[in-house]
Amino acid sequence: MDPDIDCRGLRCPEPVMRTRKMIEGARGPFTVLVDNATARDNVARFASTAGCAAVIEEHGDGFLVTVTPCEKEVPAARDDTEARERVVLVSGEGMGRGEPELSSTLMKMFLYTTAESDEPPAKIIFINSGVRLVTENDEAAAHVRRLAAAGTDVLVCGTCLDYYGLTDSLQVGRVSNMYEIQAALVGAGLLVSL
Amino acid sequence: MLATLPEEDLPALLSSIHSGEDASVYLITDDLAVVQTVDFFPPIVDDPYTFGQIAAANALSDIYAMNATPLTAMNIAAWPCESGTGILETVLLGGYDKVHEAGAVVAGGHTIEDEEPKFGLAVMGTVRPGDMTTIRGARTGDLLVLTKPLGTGIMTTALKAGLISEAELREVVLSMCELNAEAARVIASRAVGAMTDVTGFGLAGHLYEMVRASGTGATIWAGEVPLFDNALDMVASGMAPRSSAGDCFGDSRVEVEEGGVDDLLVQCMFDPQTSGGLLASIPAGEAEDLVSELRGGPALRASIVGEITEVVSPKVRIEQSRER
Repeated sequence: MDPDIDCRGLRCPEPVMRTRKMIEGARGPFTVLVDNATARDNVARFASTAGCAAVIEEHGDGFLVTVTPCEKEVPAARDDTEARERVVLVSGEGMGRGEPELSSTLMKMFLYTTAESDEPPAKIIFINSGVRLVTENDEAAAHVRRLAAAGTDVLVCGTCLDYYGLTDSLQVGRVSNMYEIQAALVGAGLLVSL
Repeated sequence: MLATLPEEDLPALLSSIHSGEDASVYLITDDLAVVQTVDFFPPIVDDPYTFGQIAAANALSDIYAMNATPLTAMNIAAWPCESGTGILETVLLGGYDKVHEAGAVVAGGHTIEDEEPKFGLAVMGTVRPGDMTTIRGARTGDLLVLTKPLGTGIMTTALKAGLISEAELREVVLSMCELNAEAARVIASRAVGAMTDVTGFGLAGHLYEMVRASGTGATIWAGEVPLFDNALDMVASGMAPRSSAGDCFGDSRVEVEEGGVDDLLVQCMFDPQTSGGLLASIPAGEAEDLVSELRGGPALRASIVGEITEVVSPKVRIEQSRER
């Protein structure tokens, strides 16, 4: 059987990029043919990070990776550590309702003090105009970078970056999607929404 | 590749590829040796001036790894004619400025036409033979100090793939532009055993070369190794570049603690570096002081990343942490 995508002879990171495109449009399992171990491992790692199953077989001189996109399942009973996970949702540039300048200052102070705290949150999620804080706003982005260094997972809404034309300006965090954001919000032990 | 050529046998040749060094050292008089090195590669960042700076810092690094002083540099460029000369001029200017920052001069160079752009430099320096540092002097019990975070290969691959922005690469770019000059001087003022710079073979590969030449073994404490922000996430997203070390050293030369070290972290230990940091073996009693001194000056993220051990097989072992 022919592979769905043939990535032999392609240099890194091209095989992963093609796999990503396939996952985005995939309705079912597909196969990726690669000709070296690095590409094989990279494709498999990317697939599992993207929430897919990856099965590797040897195939001639190369490797065939079968990627199966998974339906997001409702997580089973969580253990205690997961249940206590603290998540911060930032859905705008400012904190609270009032003069924009004050709201913006408060938000920066919040991010600063959160970065300073002994127990940083497990996740911080930036959606809607909140994405400006991790793109155009150098000062806020610096605080968030310290949070990331302290172990907080920084998720940034990809649709929002796209909408505001800020995709190329991301300073910190990883681009995420509504599947992951939804799962993080409903799965949070404590949700702080700003 | 050069191992296929007959070995040069000349008393004045103090160091060469046959002793595992990237630079050659040739003894001129009893107290003067000439050090030569060359490196060039395709652009890894979009900005031409920055690329020139990185290429020069990378080429100069082999000189510093031997505790030598760079004197002259020659440009080596391959460039597509249709792109005009403007971009290449900017690349050359970046290289020129970096060479001058190092206290050396650009004495000339050579350009050929090629579809894929490439730039680098051949650098000449000098060292007093007694001051020279090599990969051969590691001693059992020494601690290993690394002066820059790992991950330049992973992060520049992620930039190519569009997973991170130029802004997110900033920390990595600053690190690649940073000369190893001052860090080398600080390290060489201590009782350094062996020293090398971490480049294409990654940390594990260059450490393997060091312990092979020194007749010792070594352990890397992977959890102690400084990494660039996001490097682990980018490996998880499939951004580990194909490494020469991973292919050649794989199983027989480097051993990973069974079940103890995260695969993503292991990949970072093999990540090929451009203009990476210095790796030095230092007596255990001096290592903490050295790291403090480096962090206070030329190398903010210098860290103790492992130790030199008795010779073992495989020669390099990767463990998660220092606590045993």
